[in-house]
Amino acid sequence: MAKVQAIPKEKKPKKRQTLGMRILTILFSIISVFYVLPVFIVLMNSFKTNAGISSEPFSFPNAETFYGFKSYITGMFFGNFPFYKTILCSLFITVGGVFLILLCTSMCAWYLSRSNSIICKIIYYFCIFSMVVPFQMVMFTLSKTADTLNLTTPWGILIIYLGFGAGLAVFMFTGFVKSIPIEIEEAADVDGAGPMRTFFGVVLPIMKPTVISVGILETMWIWNDYLLPYLILDKGKYKTIPIHIQYLNGSYGHTDTSAIMALIVLSIVPIIIFYFSCQKYIIEGVVAGAVKG
Amino acid sequence: MFRKPKRKLYSLIFVLPTFAAFVIGFIYPFFSGVYLSFCKFRTTSNAKFIGFDNYIKAFQNEGFIRSFWFTALFVIVSVVLINLIAFFVAYALTLGIRGSNVFRTVFFMPNLIGGIILGYIWQLIFNGILKNYGTNLALNANYGFWGLVILMCWQQAGYMMIIYIAGFQSVPGDLYEAAKIDGANKHQLLRNVTIPMMMPSITICTFLTLTNSFKLFDQNLALTGGAPGVVSEGGTMVYQTQMMALNIYRTFYENANSRGVGQAEAVIFFIIVVVIALAQLAFTRKREVQQ
Amino acid sequence: MKRKIFKSIAAVGMACFIAVSCMAGCSTDGGTEKKGTVFYLNFKPEQDKAWQNLAKAYTEETGVNVKVTTAAEGTYEETLTAEMDKDNAPTLFQVNGPIGLANWDEDCMDLEGTDVYNELTSKDYALKNTDGVVKGIAYVIETYGIIYNRTILQKYCDSDFATVKKIEDINSFDKLKTVADEIQANAEALGVKGAFTSTGMDSSSDWRFKTHLANIPVYYEYKDENITSTKEIKGTYLDNYKNIFDLYITDSTTKPTDLANKTGTDSETEFIKGQAVFFQNGSWEYGVLTEAGMKDEDLGMLPIYIGVEGEENQGLCTGSENYWVVNANSSEEDQQATLDFMKWCVTSETGTKAMADEMNFVIPFKSAKEATNIFVKTDKEMTEAGKTPVSWNFTTMPSENWKDGVGVALTQYAAGTGKWEDVVKAFVDGWKTEYAKVS
Repeated sequence: MAKVQAIPKEKKPKKRQTLGMRILTILFSIISVFYVLPVFIVLMNSFKTNAGISSEPFSFPNAETFYGFKSYITGMFFGNFPFYKTILCSLFITVGGVFLILLCTSMCAWYLSRSNSIICKIIYYFCIFSMVVPFQMVMFTLSKTADTLNLTTPWGILIIYLGFGAGLAVFMFTGFVKSIPIEIEEAADVDGAGPMRTFFGVVLPIMKPTVISVGILETMWIWNDYLLPYLILDKGKYKTIPIHIQYLNGSYGHTDTSAIMALIVLSIVPIIIFYFSCQKYIIEGVVAGAVKG
Repeated sequence: MFRKPKRKLYSLIFVLPTFAAFVIGFIYPFFSGVYLSFCKFRTTSNAKFIGFDNYIKAFQNEGFIRSFWFTALFVIVSVVLINLIAFFVAYALTLGIRGSNVFRTVFFMPNLIGGIILGYIWQLIFNGILKNYGTNLALNANYGFWGLVILMCWQQAGYMMIIYIAGFQSVPGDLYEAAKIDGANKHQLLRNVTIPMMMPSITICTFLTLTNSFKLFDQNLALTGGAPGVVSEGGTMVYQTQMMALNIYRTFYENANSRGVGQAEAVIFFIIVVVIALAQLAFTRKREVQQ
Repeated sequence: MKRKIFKSIAAVGMACFIAVSCMAGCSTDGGTEKKGTVFYLNFKPEQDKAWQNLAKAYTEETGVNVKVTTAAEGTYEETLTAEMDKDNAPTLFQVNGPIGLANWDEDCMDLEGTDVYNELTSKDYALKNTDGVVKGIAYVIETYGIIYNRTILQKYCDSDFATVKKIEDINSFDKLKTVADEIQANAEALGVKGAFTSTGMDSSSDWRFKTHLANIPVYYEYKDENITSTKEIKGTYLDNYKNIFDLYITDSTTKPTDLANKTGTDSETEFIKGQAVFFQNGSWEYGVLTEAGMKDEDLGMLPIYIGVEGEENQGLCTGSENYWVVNANSSEEDQQATLDFMKWCVTSETGTKAMADEMNFVIPFKSAKEATNIFVKTDKEMTEAGKTPVSWNFTTMPSENWKDGVGVALTQYAAGTGKWEDVVKAFVDGWKTEYAKVS
């Protein structure tokens, strides 16, 4: 435990654990428990009856309040738009939206930063500008436009996400492209590769870290987004997870708390598993994104 | 790179998809939004230009003014708290204590959960606690306020912590060595070496928390929904824990006749956010010049 | 490196594709037919499923596409506002009465002479705008009052401590209060938790008090003044409103301080489990109660007495806040399709059956099925016995915001954090301010 290790590669060699540091470890362990506790409480409540949740939210389910997986079943299959469809909808919109944003904006950003035309400059500055505009500003006109153009399906909303999410992505990609020495591309050009092959064969592989950063930031945004899909999607036909959960509260004339709890569990467990399995990339992606953005 | 003859073609392939979507998803809605804020309208097709009336009404709207002050107070408290917590946790985690990586992972986790879901999770917890004291979130605006602050700290501190950790790790070790040789104590190290070197991270984090808190919507909607309301002098109801984004949304969809006012409020909101962003930019520039 | 990137792009693309193919399930777009289509924005969340089934049945029978969307509780106006702005706006939607109609008047088509209109049993069920044009048609008549558990109430009447010995004798506020107080005092002996179910002030339940209960003082004031609507209310009977509300929250299963978060489901459950005797609600609850195993002989409904002179002749509150209106901006084919659908709903075997049995509606149309609903029967009997039904005047309440204001004030009053004066302020001053805003 108190070994002094000399690891030349690491910036900071592992330090001797002083008393203060041990206290900190214990303190942070306690805080960590409190950090995961809310998720745990939801998990616990998802197995209780409605009455059990409202009378004693912090206790384990007992014989009287135990409800088993019933709320999962009603939550999953209830209504004319069952939750499994919602999950598919959310998954499709997130995967499709992120894919489209990564592909289109990286191409766009490369062209913008390698071209000197005034129009390109204007587009670039508009992209930066769009990053500060709050959604409420375009809320109404955007949903109206989407409706006029028939973009109220999961397919159509991908275009809206590309448009509204372009700002940040273009900004981050352009920042990165500017740091790539143009000589590499010129070499590829001399070898006879056209812009398409140059981009996909040379530039895109170099941009990989930024692709991951942008991908993670956009995934976190689209997966959790509420108001945009709420206003744009044809809600009778399609719902995303946040819309579905908000809709459960007070619709159908009743508030089924235990179904809400069950659906919350169902929607955060995959995310948490995903996070723990590739947290290194996620955290690095976030740092890279923040420092550049 | 792009040779003349085919230039047009490539600009079409590379830029057009994004640009077209950008026009649909941002440029057109933005400008027609600005225009509509000067109009009386129920639907976009029957908009009538009426000048600044909507803006005057917006400033007379008690709910809007109240939501502004509520938002301002919330932003100040949450920005300060989140950054203080994140900074010191990050500092502690870079000391090399055992389990740092685990703590880092756990503290970041809430960021992956959406605002609506977070709101419901914390509503359950707060009401469960408050129940023992015979009250709940919908009864006292103070609980709603601090509830939102706690929720935001829980969610955002981890994110900011990650950025601060990266900041700490980028401080060159030689600087510390040099300062130590000069006889600086721990306190002086922190004040004269660490904090100045951390300024870029502090700027980023302040900016992120500032805009995040200002634009907060989902968490607000799910946790309190603006409740409790209070009956104002005129006898109408004004929500007490409603932030600006939610207020604009409600003004907009509550009554088809108040849409212009809602749009005007949105423009005001937008201007405030831009002013904050510009101030931030100016601040960063100034600091960069000094260094 | 290059390969890897391509591979990962391909992988993401594949994932995308798989998700798309799965989506086939949730994208059943029927495509617009030339026949015209119907888009109904339904107001009643509890009937959502029944409407979806009915729409499906209609499509199977006629091939006309019917889409039904339901707004979540308390968001109808908001959803309607958003939907009406779209190109595919609802062809059929609802207004809750004169105030709702005033908001949407220009978007509603004239329904005079249509088949549905002619099917009405009484032309009183049509809603006219200020110019006297028929714009809305009530499609359901509902009744509310204080639902009681007959078995337990009878048990009370048979007890030694009971002052009131017969259920029929409860015909005034004072008697109701005596009964409730005595039940509350002897809760254990009767095996209940309280006289009234929880007066939940959550949004799934507060409409029972801010709207339905508030109707009674408004009704008596209108009656005194001999008017049917007003821009300034006096609040003559607000003390009575206070009395009944006080009774609800005092003789209750739940402490007043816990009421703010109690939901409609909570108080429904209490009633079904026999934890309380009285439950203010309406005929629409019949389906839920019987499905939960309650029998007709367990159920009864009392008028809501608030202590006004002559109230022994007061009946149940009967009326409608559900008026169908047809979108005037829709294409002619769609309007025709919509009118056909409405007619089918109220005349065909399938339609009337679904409305009577599945939705438990009493519909004011000639071919309506006899309702099995016990509360509706009670209302009929009372009217025949010479009692005057209380009309639904809450359709003249100025706005949703007004109701919310009263609801908030009531919540705070119940919790002890607010005063009754705030309720009065929200009721009287708010009425005036909100009316000024709308007009």
